[in-house]
Amino acid sequence: MDRDEEDYVFYGTPIEREEDTSTRKRKAAADAGQLRSLPVWKQEVRDEEGRRRFHGAFTGGFSAGYYNTVGSKEGWAPQTFTSSRKNRAEFKQQSIYQFLDDDDMKNMGGQALETSTQFDTFGFTAAEYARKQAEKEQEKRPSAIPGPAPDDIVLPAADSIGMKLLQKMGWRRGHSIRETQADSLYDARREARKALIAFSSNINEPDIAQIESSVSERDELTERSNDGIYSSGSTPVYVLNPKQDLHGLGFDPFKHAPEFRDRKELHEARIKDQDNRRGFPMGKNLLASKSGNYAPGFGIGALEELDVEDEDIYASSVACYELEETEVEEVEPAKIIRDNHKLEYRKQGVLSGFKVASNPDYNVERFKPPVIPPNFEPVHKFSSPLEPASKFAEAHPPEVPPPEDNNLKMLIDGLATLVARCGKLFEDLSKEKNKANPLFSFLSGGNGHGYYVRKLWEEKQKYGDQPKQMDMKSISSVPKLTAEGRGRILGERPLEKSTGSSSSIAPKEVIHLQSNLSDTFTKSASLDRLSESVKPFKSDPAKQKRFEQFLKDKYQGGLRAIYIADTDGMSDTDRARERLDFEAAAETIEKGECGTKTNSQSIEKFLELARNGDMHFVPSLGMEKHQISHNEEMLVTKIYPKREEFQWRPSPILCKRFDIIDPFMGKPPPLPRARSRVETLIFTTDSSKDVQPAETEVTKRDALPVSQLKILEETKLNAEEVDNELTLPNVERPVDLYKAIFSDDSDDEGDFANLTKVDDQEKKAEGANKALNRLVAGDFLESLGKELGLEVPSDINDGPLKTNTLTFPETSGEGDYKISFGNERSGFELQKANMHWENKEPTACKSTSLGNAVKSLSPGICRDMIDGVLPPEGDMQYNTDSRRSNRSISSGGRTENIYSEHQEGEYPSEEKDNRANRHKTHSRHRRSSSSSDSDSSSDSGHHDRSRSKADKRSSEGKSRKHSKHHKHKRRRSRSRYPSHDDARDRNDDHRRKDKKYREGTSDATHSKHDGHRKYH
Amino acid sequence: MVAGLPLRESGVLKGHEGAVLAVRFNGDGNYCLSCGKDRTLRLWNPHRGIHVKTYKSHGREVRDVHVTPDNSKLVSCGGDRQIFYWDVSTGRVIRKFRGHDSEVNSVKFNEYASVVVSAGYDRSVRTWDCRSQSTEPIQIIDTFQDSVMSVCLTKSEIIAGSVDGTVRTFDIRVGRELVDDMKQPVNCISLSNDTNCLLASCLDSTLRLLDRSSGELLQEYKGHTCKSFKMDCCLTNTDAHVTSGSEDGFIFFWDLVDASVVMKFRAHASVVTSVSYHPKDSCMITSSVDGTVRVWKE
Repeated sequence: MDRDEEDYVFYGTPIEREEDTSTRKRKAAADAGQLRSLPVWKQEVRDEEGRRRFHGAFTGGFSAGYYNTVGSKEGWAPQTFTSSRKNRAEFKQQSIYQFLDDDDMKNMGGQALETSTQFDTFGFTAAEYARKQAEKEQEKRPSAIPGPAPDDIVLPAADSIGMKLLQKMGWRRGHSIRETQADSLYDARREARKALIAFSSNINEPDIAQIESSVSERDELTERSNDGIYSSGSTPVYVLNPKQDLHGLGFDPFKHAPEFRDRKELHEARIKDQDNRRGFPMGKNLLASKSGNYAPGFGIGALEELDVEDEDIYASSVACYELEETEVEEVEPAKIIRDNHKLEYRKQGVLSGFKVASNPDYNVERFKPPVIPPNFEPVHKFSSPLEPASKFAEAHPPEVPPPEDNNLKMLIDGLATLVARCGKLFEDLSKEKNKANPLFSFLSGGNGHGYYVRKLWEEKQKYGDQPKQMDMKSISSVPKLTAEGRGRILGERPLEKSTGSSSSIAPKEVIHLQSNLSDTFTKSASLDRLSESVKPFKSDPAKQKRFEQFLKDKYQGGLRAIYIADTDGMSDTDRARERLDFEAAAETIEKGECGTKTNSQSIEKFLELARNGDMHFVPSLGMEKHQISHNEEMLVTKIYPKREEFQWRPSPILCKRFDIIDPFMGKPPPLPRARSRVETLIFTTDSSKDVQPAETEVTKRDALPVSQLKILEETKLNAEEVDNELTLPNVERPVDLYKAIFSDDSDDEGDFANLTKVDDQEKKAEGANKALNRLVAGDFLESLGKELGLEVPSDINDGPLKTNTLTFPETSGEGDYKISFGNERSGFELQKANMHWENKEPTACKSTSLGNAVKSLSPGICRDMIDGVLPPEGDMQYNTDSRRSNRSISSGGRTENIYSEHQEGEYPSEEKDNRANRHKTHSRHRRSSSSSDSDSSSDSGHHDRSRSKADKRSSEGKSRKHSKHHKHKRRRSRSRYPSHDDARDRNDDHRRKDKKYREGTSDATHSKHDGHRKYH
Repeated sequence: MVAGLPLRESGVLKGHEGAVLAVRFNGDGNYCLSCGKDRTLRLWNPHRGIHVKTYKSHGREVRDVHVTPDNSKLVSCGGDRQIFYWDVSTGRVIRKFRGHDSEVNSVKFNEYASVVVSAGYDRSVRTWDCRSQSTEPIQIIDTFQDSVMSVCLTKSEIIAGSVDGTVRTFDIRVGRELVDDMKQPVNCISLSNDTNCLLASCLDSTLRLLDRSSGELLQEYKGHTCKSFKMDCCLTNTDAHVTSGSEDGFIFFWDLVDASVVMKFRAHASVVTSVSYHPKDSCMITSSVDGTVRVWKE
């Protein structure tokens, strides 16, 4: 009813009966019209009571009936435990109705569900009949239980559908299905077989007994079964012989030759005997019949498959043979018989029991071969040769000087080449076409004809070389083209195996061939001529040989043997040196080639060069000495085993277990594979280029003012030795530092969340800080340096940023920063750091690389040193963050610097520093981005792990810091740049620049970073 | 007849169904262990010819077995890619070390029975910790180019022979790897009793004796057939002779120094898979594909 009503639109207020309308319902009705006017996503589904039943997944889900329960008042209550002591827990029969709800019930329409164990086509009567039948049988059978077994014990299976079908077809229980005709046929055949066996038993004397017995047994068996069949007239219940062959179902190879069956059985029995004798009790038939030749004695697990491993590799060849034999026999059963009775076969001419027909029905009709006409030629000859085949025989035309006209010469040359390649046809065509053209008169015997003929011949010689060679070779190596032959034709060098015999082709020829082959595709490097005349290493024939080999390798395509032929004795360095030598020589040759082909002078020059190179590369010991050592080495290497030594790093536990001190104890873990690193470096190169201009632009903007430097006197910093006084505001909580040092997992999570916890940790952190001071003083120093050269958020900025600043003297120059703290423990470290520092170039920001780590440090130290003298903590952390974010934003290239806008250009002198600083920032950012949220690259994970511990700590501090900053920055920037894409772009920028940074080699100052790079 | 060689058959240990793949004396030579294609390990008293115990758990053939010096634990490996760490007396598997990607060919305890070193068809040698609960290998050595056939341990070294033709010595003390390239697939390696020499059986039917300190080839022993099966070789207890089986069922004895065949006789009907020499006496056990283990005495 309600449903119906909802389909209507109501105008006016319906008259309501007080009793059946709740207020809610009324409201629902009132809303109905209103709802429908709403857009779909604002409409709400309500039940008939007007209640809202669907909520969002997070606001309650579907709340039908009992809210979020199973639909009962009690909800989902586990079955109560009932003690079986007092009252036995009743077995609750579950019915399907317990799993159906009202709707399902309704759908069922009152029909009850029931399961049935039977699928009874013919109804219940069949089962009944079967039962009766069983009862009848039961009576016949003697049984321990007297009388008929109760119905519920004996439950005979209902008749199969097949049986029922047979019954339908007229078959009656207790009758045979066999055709009656088949019986007689079978009988006849059996008789025949008997007779045959009688015959054949004469033949194979030793087997008589066996045959007899088996045969008689078999006959008896069949007899019996036949009798059974006859007497009962029913089909045999079960076929006892499982299928063991590979024939199709029901196929009997011996159907019409039952005598062979006996043979086969006999044979199998013999094999089995042998098996037993050999002592494989389980017999291989079981396994062998499955597949292949498998190890005897045991199978494999049910879940495993026969595998190669299971093959009986130890099995003797005899066994293999037998197996094969049986298989053969199965395929062609007649064969063995034929073998066995070959003698008789020959004597009688036929199988026993048969005789030769006097006149065979089947005569092969033979025809005479066709008469070949006398004028037939087996090889087709073309009436006109495709190409003037006489080119080899024809006397080459006399050399003719080229025509004076250069154009004509070029034309002739070009055409000659074309014709040589494309055939005579082309010449004819062009002749036809350019009849009128006087330029082409040379074709038809005009000006330059002689030259053309000559040129054409030359080209043909050149071009025809290849086919000619091929022809020759293929003719010589007919009839079959072997792989070697083909290789020879192609000029391939045989692989190492046949190096000894490779002399069959002269290397020169090979080169010639090769160059011929490659001529069409590459520049002609007919080095053969050269290598003939030019022997740069004449003094050392072995070396010369190697050089030739090298040349071959260099200019030859295809497979090549490793360059070892007779350099075995040489050390690697020698080989490398020689190779360099050869390269140089080859280059010279090539140059000489390019310049003047036959200029002997150039060759001379080359020789000289080569010799020089020789001197240059070969140590002053001279050739002889080299030779000798070479020989010695040869001798040594002849005695294998060759011994090589490598470093191998046993794992510490292994050493421990072997009770040996780890030889690598305390040494850094092996470097991770450098490959990925190399790749990244490679990939960065091009992308960094386009970033360059943007960067410079940024640099200018980046120049942050260090305008207002405030010196806080209250600090207990010992500032007298320090050129640069600084006040480090207690900007940050030490949590990051703390974490960096005392937690060893490199991934940092929830940076901001951590901040909230800071308070609890602060006490611990304080303690840690003290210890830390010492550790990180060096870093701190460096960061100081960085800060000095760096932007400091000025007082100019308003808001929270203003309150705390890093204060540096304006003169923050480059050079040494000597800082000493009241904390004496840090003294040593400081010095160290100082030295470290001084090693670097004085261009300010060198130390910046370490910078960030120090940032995190600074508050701790400050606290330690300042001990509460510092201004109260307020927004300080935020401040530093913002400062840093400021930096990062500015480094983002396209984005504007929030702070520097009004200060742009104020401190151009610091540009340089800032740039370096920016580098720093990039790297920092990169790291932070990788370690913090979105783009974590495995790469950075690597570097984190691989760094040494101290380093790691600091870097982790850094990265942690940075991740925070990064996030912070992003948050901030989002407000400035509402579009997401923008932010992403910026990130990309960072990354790219970072790459650039990493790639930059000029910046030697960033020694620390260089170190990092190594690990990246 | 050469004095001191175990030429008399003193007993046949029968029980394995199918090929016996390895037989090993225990540390003091009173017992021996055999393993084979029937997936069992068997513990024997070879001197009295008694079968003591059978260890069943392997899912495939067992290829090698080794026993701790204190006779309390066994380690075995085989075609099921696992290494089984057994308790000798109860016959239970204490631990299984899984990790080899393929069949495990050889396995050994270290001196303190704290580490098991295994060599496998997966071209690796792995070391496993018996002391901790970890079933992960301590270290994986995978510098081999081919199946590692045999592994030997000294106090501070792991030596392994591989089909890639190398015998690699991993010196834990120095932290280096020595590679002796034999140029022939190495089937089995065994150390001389003074551990100064290494006998390597190569698949070119040659045994090669190396000086371990220099890597120098000291001698080659030929005459037997060893071309396709994994067969063991060893030196006699006095280091005076070298012995190995042959694929035709023969046992060969060579003089260590002049490499002449001192004695050979037919011991088995089929391939002699393993020979093991008593640590002190002149007593040898051999196993074969014919399913028997034979004990030879002087």
